[in-house]
Amino acid sequence: MSKFKKITSNQLFIPLMALILLAVINLINDPGFFKVTLGTNNAGYPVLSGYLITILDYGSELGILAIGMTLVTAASGGQDISVGATIAIAGSAMLRVLCGGNSRPETIQAPIIVAFLVACVVGMLCGAFNGALVALFKIQPMIATLILFTAGRSIAAWINNNELPIVPDPKFSYFGGFIPGIPIPTTVFIVAICIVIIALVLKFTNLGLYTQAVGINESSSRLNGINPTLIKFISFVILGLCVAVAALIKVSRLSTINYSVIAKDIEMDAILAVALGGNALSGGKFNMWSSILGAYVIQFLTTTLYKFNVQSDALAAYKAVVVILLVVFSAPTVRDYMGQLMKKMSLARKEAA
Amino acid sequence: MKKRYILTAIASAFALAIAGCGAITPDKDLEVNEEYEKADDLITVGFSQLGAESDWRSANTESMLGALSEANGYSLTYKNGQQKQANQITAIRTFIQQEVDYIVLAPATEDGWDTVLAEAREANIPVILVDRRVNTSDKNLYSCWVGSDFELEGQKMAAWIKAYTERQNIAPEDLHIVNIQGNIGSTAQIGRTRGLANAARDNGWDLCAEISGDFTETKGREVMGALLKRFDNINVVYCENDNMAIGAIDAIESAGGRVGPNIKRGEVMVVSFDGVNETALEYARQGKISCIAECNPLHGPRVSALIKALERGEAPSKFNYVDEKLFSSVPGIASVQVGDITYFVESDF
Amino acid sequence: MEDKKKSSIFNKMNDTSLLLTITIVIFVLMYLGAILLQGGGFTKPQMFFNILNANAALIITATGMSIVMISGGIDISVGGVVALVSMSCAVYLDHKGGSIFGSVLLALAIGVAFGLVQGFLVAYLDIQPFIVSLAGMFFARGMTTIVNTAPFNVADPEFMALKDTRINVPFLGSVNKKGIYVPAYVEIGVIVALIIMVVLFIVLRWTKLGRSFYAVGGNKQSALMMGINVKRTKFLSHLICSTLAGIGGYVYFLHVGSGSASHAMGMEMNAIASSIIGGTMLTGGVGNIIGTLFGVLSLSTIQNIVASAGLDEAWWTGITIAAMLCIFLLIQSVVMAQKNKVLKS
Repeated sequence: MSKFKKITSNQLFIPLMALILLAVINLINDPGFFKVTLGTNNAGYPVLSGYLITILDYGSELGILAIGMTLVTAASGGQDISVGATIAIAGSAMLRVLCGGNSRPETIQAPIIVAFLVACVVGMLCGAFNGALVALFKIQPMIATLILFTAGRSIAAWINNNELPIVPDPKFSYFGGFIPGIPIPTTVFIVAICIVIIALVLKFTNLGLYTQAVGINESSSRLNGINPTLIKFISFVILGLCVAVAALIKVSRLSTINYSVIAKDIEMDAILAVALGGNALSGGKFNMWSSILGAYVIQFLTTTLYKFNVQSDALAAYKAVVVILLVVFSAPTVRDYMGQLMKKMSLARKEAA
Repeated sequence: MKKRYILTAIASAFALAIAGCGAITPDKDLEVNEEYEKADDLITVGFSQLGAESDWRSANTESMLGALSEANGYSLTYKNGQQKQANQITAIRTFIQQEVDYIVLAPATEDGWDTVLAEAREANIPVILVDRRVNTSDKNLYSCWVGSDFELEGQKMAAWIKAYTERQNIAPEDLHIVNIQGNIGSTAQIGRTRGLANAARDNGWDLCAEISGDFTETKGREVMGALLKRFDNINVVYCENDNMAIGAIDAIESAGGRVGPNIKRGEVMVVSFDGVNETALEYARQGKISCIAECNPLHGPRVSALIKALERGEAPSKFNYVDEKLFSSVPGIASVQVGDITYFVESDF
Repeated sequence: MEDKKKSSIFNKMNDTSLLLTITIVIFVLMYLGAILLQGGGFTKPQMFFNILNANAALIITATGMSIVMISGGIDISVGGVVALVSMSCAVYLDHKGGSIFGSVLLALAIGVAFGLVQGFLVAYLDIQPFIVSLAGMFFARGMTTIVNTAPFNVADPEFMALKDTRINVPFLGSVNKKGIYVPAYVEIGVIVALIIMVVLFIVLRWTKLGRSFYAVGGNKQSALMMGINVKRTKFLSHLICSTLAGIGGYVYFLHVGSGSASHAMGMEMNAIASSIIGGTMLTGGVGNIIGTLFGVLSLSTIQNIVASAGLDEAWWTGITIAAMLCIFLLIQSVVMAQKNKVLKS
């Protein structure tokens, strides 16, 4: 019994169970789901393909966003709902630098790394804007980020004058696709790098500890010499950086941008990833790895839904149901009730025995 | 508590004052009108554009703003409907309140205009439609329409293909044509498809396939790629707009084919429509696109001419087509004939 | 010295009236600006009524939003509910041959259903209202495309007659170019909106329920001590908001006469912005229905000004609303900080 409880109380339990459940559903529906084949792409280079690769590939943006979202959630007890819109802004800025305001340039106008750094700065500025509203002006995170959620895509369109520039350099498409000769999607490496960086940061700095302290009790953390304003602010800026990396992948996939559609509804997925990872949406303690795992489970869910011929516009409805079920089952009131129910049942069983 | 009442009273007083602002005091209205007298020699026009979704649309808007400028004797109010009919209806109602002299409307949809157009007629404001048409129970709800004759565009293109291939001594049955269509059901798609289909039947061309490419470059590339796998003898690609032509050319080239007018040497001839997209025009200059039938977005001058005619009390014809050219850098064909009219081919564009 | 004087003014005014005054002053300035920029049209009463006609649905949903916000919650599902209602009613009327009465019931049912579920989750399971209504928004938007993907206009003659029904406003008409007197009019939706506003104004001001909304939003602990059923109050606030979103959805549908998945995009944002501009505090406990009405009017007037200033590209609307929201949030934040300082000293 205690062993069982130990397993179920582990934060990784929920996402792993969800993963297994989805895997079983897919296995029953189509055993070919798990097949990974080595083929060649149009350019004649070897690439891996299959549903599992798709999930790993397309879950990348979400995985990266989950890192920042977890920190924001833990520190501020709220979520950033502007990530989709800020991806559009950062991506648009990147294209503006790459194409120099010309929608059909012959060559790229600036090195990719410069464009990426500009996108990082833009992403961090957006994060700083949100962070300032939340940390300095004490506005609830979701309301504060509602501002960029509404204006973001408009700002993105405005940066490029509503044109849809196309990046002419094939090298740019490596980030969201494959590097010639390497059969594994590049995004997997990008995620790996991000995970390593955040792991090092959490291990060698006090960021994780401070974030949790601020999230659990702001005033007592202040008494312990932590500056909660700064910590909240930093968490939003880190999320801004994650957004910029996600934007690089998103824009690279198409070599262009569509302001109203790029990263649409991704805020929902990112929040879902954090919740699925068993982190309290009201802040405090967090587990980074279970959030990232949660992100891939979400992508697994998306791919599964597509497999069942659900239209992309209708996906949101199904995911909304999943979110509601998740938050309902993690709500303290429900947990207490369930705990009482379990007790009663075991009592009844004892009596019967 | 008392203060609250007072404030509420003040608030409602404000609301009343604002609501009644111009109304209760007709003198004030007159004053404003007098102010307007100065600018009275300008013709006031309200233009409700449906949106800014494509290059073509932007060019269309620019043309309107240019032609209906103050220098040309107009005072223009321009409203972007952002692809929503409700916005456009609100805009027209605003124009009616402002008592503009004319309303120009580029409708977002074909249905649902009866009420608001009737309001405009009651207010004695003539409405000129641009680009798309509307379905109304009463055709007199608008005074006239300006736009493109899409079927004529298709006919002109077919006539060019006929003239060119006859000159090259290519037998009609050796022409294997695929049509990459626009959004099925759009006015442009219907007209252009009909133009080609009729010509193919009359001339005995082999029309292999008609598939929609949704007017987009990516879809054009995808559809063309699939067609090349299905047929190995395609030598003419008829794309119903430039963006799809760009995609199709990309697909042909990456499948190892060559595009160009020289069918006998195994090149695939691409023809397309619109002539607004710079890349497509450049392709036409290089000969990658053999011929482009223009879809003229420059409706401004024509609308201006119609307004001037209405001002003089004339009754212009109900449906007005803008002049549209053929662009081709392929030498040999100077003009084509459709019906009784001769259309010249521009080689310098 | 100066500071003291300032703070004394702050002290004398309560939160509601202070924020309401700011709103009204700003609206008056904006309307004057619009008259200057747009000229003749704005001085006519019908222009004002046109703003009401176009925004009746927003007024209704924003009123509901204000109530939720006063009681300390938030509901961002209203735009989705409006879209779902208009699409469902359009399909019901045109494809299923339903009656007008049935479609009204359908709209109400959708609103109430959202209210029951969201209210229950927020009040009784203690889940953050933002998460609940975020899921509600995505659910409603998704359901809209499941009901019908393509946008279409309703052709039902009875419905069209209702849609074009006008209520003339006496004395405020104007003479048009032909020299004919045209009466000023409002659509049915405006009447609905006015009735709802009056009823809720009375409820908020003079009933126990209304006062409990303020009490729960202001301070949950003291509300509990006052013997207010906090859970029930929160539940009711969400139920009212979603029901109003359902009614607002029908009014919206009545105004546009079509169903589309892209209807009411960002309406939740407009409703929240209207409430905040109208002086409703995000933190709860402070707010006013009259202010919300002025919030809606200010918002649509500024959009008009932005459009007539030549900045009509689609993106300016979003940026303007966000900017307004941002400014008012900052005003609130500063005002409250100031008050707290004064109270402390």
